[in-house]
Amino acid sequence: MVLVLALGDLHIPHRAADLPAKFKSMLVPGKIQHIICTGNLCIKEVHDYLKTLCPDLHITRGEYDEEMRYPETKTLTIGQFKLGLCHGHQVIPWGNLDSLAMLQRQLDVDILVTGHTHQFTAYKHEGGVVINPGSATGAYSSITYDVNPSFVLMDVDGLRVVVYVYELIDGEVKVDKIDFKKTTTTTHSAH
Amino acid sequence: MAKNKVPEWLNSSLWSATTATTSSSADDDRIQHYSKKHYATATESLDGPPVTFSPPAAIMEEPPRPSKPEIKIKDKDLRNGVSSDIDNNNCNSINNDEDNGTSYVRPSAAEDISRQAQLLTELSRKVVNMRELRRIASYGIPDGAGIRSAVWKLLLGYLPADRSLWSSELGKKRSQYKHFKEELLMNPSEITRRLEKSPVCENDEAKSESSGMLSRSQITHGEHPLSLGKTSIWNQFFQDTEIIEQIDRDVKRTHPDMHFFSGDTSFAKSNQEALKNILIVFAKLNPGIRYVQGMNEILAPLFYVFRNDPDEEMAACAEADTFFCFVELLSGFRDHFCQQLDNSVVGIRSTITTLSQLLKEHDEELWRHLEVTTKVNPQFYAFRWITLLLTQEFNFADSLHIWDTLLSDPEGPQETLLRICCAMLILIRRRLLAGDFTSNLKLLQNYPPTNISHLLYVANKLRAQPSG
Repeated sequence: MVLVLALGDLHIPHRAADLPAKFKSMLVPGKIQHIICTGNLCIKEVHDYLKTLCPDLHITRGEYDEEMRYPETKTLTIGQFKLGLCHGHQVIPWGNLDSLAMLQRQLDVDILVTGHTHQFTAYKHEGGVVINPGSATGAYSSITYDVNPSFVLMDVDGLRVVVYVYELIDGEVKVDKIDFKKTTTTTHSAH
Repeated sequence: MAKNKVPEWLNSSLWSATTATTSSSADDDRIQHYSKKHYATATESLDGPPVTFSPPAAIMEEPPRPSKPEIKIKDKDLRNGVSSDIDNNNCNSINNDEDNGTSYVRPSAAEDISRQAQLLTELSRKVVNMRELRRIASYGIPDGAGIRSAVWKLLLGYLPADRSLWSSELGKKRSQYKHFKEELLMNPSEITRRLEKSPVCENDEAKSESSGMLSRSQITHGEHPLSLGKTSIWNQFFQDTEIIEQIDRDVKRTHPDMHFFSGDTSFAKSNQEALKNILIVFAKLNPGIRYVQGMNEILAPLFYVFRNDPDEEMAACAEADTFFCFVELLSGFRDHFCQQLDNSVVGIRSTITTLSQLLKEHDEELWRHLEVTTKVNPQFYAFRWITLLLTQEFNFADSLHIWDTLLSDPEGPQETLLRICCAMLILIRRRLLAGDFTSNLKLLQNYPPTNISHLLYVANKLRAQPSG
């Protein structure tokens, strides 16, 4: 039972001041084992805050990040799953499933997490699953102003992943979930 | 650190009982103040003749007030029959764990065998006569043939007196424990998975399509991992994690000197695992009291005895049996562990006051000296004596013997415990009367090794008659 928090596109301080209070109250240290962040934090303070939630933090660079040294893409293995991380502004057309699927095949991962569109989506295709956690602060994107703050928490348990989607709609936190199973096991070194 | 002869200055009353045997000094070095064991109940006999394999019982620096039994014990002057029965020859399992053999007064082998025979006879009756069993057991239970394991289970009410009901009772209780474990030791992921078994199967069918948006589904009862709700299984799980960590730490520290409990062997690890499971299940079933440090110490002797049962079937189910016996044993003493009850009529402070009264009744001079003159607040020493049922004051084998009496006495464990504590004080009265606050406190917090049979004899004498 491994809990992985996926979030990104916070755009603090340029487009948003902070995470919504209701999200912050839920995110307490000690519960989450890994954090994967698609990028666009943008400043070090946000990095430090995420680090207090969980020491195992993975970030990829978004186009507005002030830290130059985050990688463009990252892969990691958690339990039986290989996860890939990328901000997504590099993949054009932005948010296009086929292009993202190409990236996924390139990285050879079961779950690809990208951002940039600031809209939560979860797609499945033959290669695997693509998840976009949206923007955790509800910051406006290059495409639209109409953004609900959202993030994703994945519960990796053997071959099964339960994806809990947290969205702030009209000031209330709404939680949904998505269940999926992987069909084959991979041999890997334990993460 | 080999000491061949105890130097004179070390014999002064300011120090706790010295131990002359080398391995015991080495043990003292190893011993942390958390877990205090006195291995050498044997000191070099002050009057000389060494006994071949079991040195005579500890002779304290100053003879205790009733000094005769101490020395005469070798002559088998057992007036009351409360005698130590730990047979060095039989006590293999215990000896393997401790570096030097425990040494006890050896009553005649005949006494021992007769008691063993009596107990076996009693145990083999169709319906065990509990009164008779208690009477025999209060003299001490021999170590062999799994007698102690069976007797303790009877005394704690785990096994009914009617032997024919034993197998059905055992079966019931063991499956109940198994059920508890399954229910309570499951993590929330598994719980949610089990709750939704059927709908998920349907979804699996739908998801075999190759691409497209993944369907979102509702969460049940607002259950999600970050939930802060009081009834949320996730929240409870995270709160329990703290307790589980605490239990884990304490279990690892239990009896670090015994191979049964500690070390790298898979045997020790499985025992630790069992202790942990029992404590976790107990904590979850009793949200009012949860886990308090010290419960592991009360659990340890129970599990040790049951696990070392020569009957394989019994030993295999030791965990379940220990759980229920632990609950039963703790039921009398629960209130001592509840902080809110500390100052109430049933709490630990009140029990300590009762002990104080008992001492006043039996030995007013000592009482006055301790409480008034040297102002040694009984809480400083009696707290550990009472809450941990004397497991920390004596070595492991001794405490098993004390528990024999504790569990079998018809007056009940609490009354008996208080009498034994009072006897402990009376036995060292000479030194206490001579000491000031510091030395007395030091002495009481590190109770000197003593002859257990003698201690229990004195405790017995304190039974409901005010005497000097």
